[in-house]
Amino acid sequence: MKIKMTSVYVDDQDKALRFYTEVLGFAKKTDFSQGPYRWLTVASPEEPDGTELQLALNNNPAAKAYQQALFQQSQPAAIFFTDNIKGDYQRIKGRGTEFTMSPTDVTGSTIAMLKDTCGNLIQLTQLARHSR
Amino acid sequence: MGDREQYTPGPASGAQIRKDGDKWTLILVRELRHSPEKVWRALTEPTHLREWAPFEADGSLGTVGNTVKLTTVGAPAPLVTETRVTRADAPKMLEYNWGDHDMRWELETFGGGTRLTLWTNIGRRFIAMGAAGWHICFDVLDHLLGGTPIGRMVGPEAMKCGWQRLNAEYAKQFGIRAPNWPSKGTQEP
Repeated sequence: MKIKMTSVYVDDQDKALRFYTEVLGFAKKTDFSQGPYRWLTVASPEEPDGTELQLALNNNPAAKAYQQALFQQSQPAAIFFTDNIKGDYQRIKGRGTEFTMSPTDVTGSTIAMLKDTCGNLIQLTQLARHSR
Repeated sequence: MGDREQYTPGPASGAQIRKDGDKWTLILVRELRHSPEKVWRALTEPTHLREWAPFEADGSLGTVGNTVKLTTVGAPAPLVTETRVTRADAPKMLEYNWGDHDMRWELETFGGGTRLTLWTNIGRRFIAMGAAGWHICFDVLDHLLGGTPIGRMVGPEAMKCGWQRLNAEYAKQFGIRAPNWPSKGTQEP
């Protein structure tokens, strides 16, 4: 078994695709539909065959409630690793993204938190051992 | 019973696309050797839809104003959407929505049978996939109406039996790039 896929709920898949590609810098990996169902994933260009992130439509009440509860409690829906958190912070902020936490040193890592415009908080993490 | 093992879809044909502003519409035409009344039942009744359509319906689509839950079949997760039948002029014209897809079916008497036309709006990047999927569904419908059912083929079943070739053929006919499914690592602009 391998962990190759994780997902976040989004309120609009087109908007999410724009944010996760044009703002965060990921690349679209798979996009197909079956009727109104749409399977949409992105991956990091640094690791094209690495773990995919599914951008899943939050079209059911349980998904909406879960997403909203996480957001209200300032819990990230996903955590991405970087080896240059300050550079990524400046780059992503420069594209108009709102951060709820600028890069902050915590035990073992530096973290930042941003809003993905689709209902989620996303955490960026740089482990201390990867610091430049 | 028909022979499912022997089934191979014919070449892509009978489909057009139309663009109005940002909205793309897929138009599919299929001539069936069966009466409009018989085709109408297959398009509207849950027990008939179950034999060929890419969704399950929990009620009849044949009465205007009916609210019906449609559930995708074969998708990675079942997607349930509620539809309201907005037009049901038996056995000629049927309109409802499937999620964000408007579905408009026209049945015209043609020789001794029916010329069936489906108009459905679908995003440009999925339009060849949709044409390929409906092509196979219509083949299955034709077998069903002819009394030699071969069983519904949607999702993974469609992919086993020529969907990918049809997808590429329709993409070529429509002048769009073949969608990136199922190849990995490619990107569309």
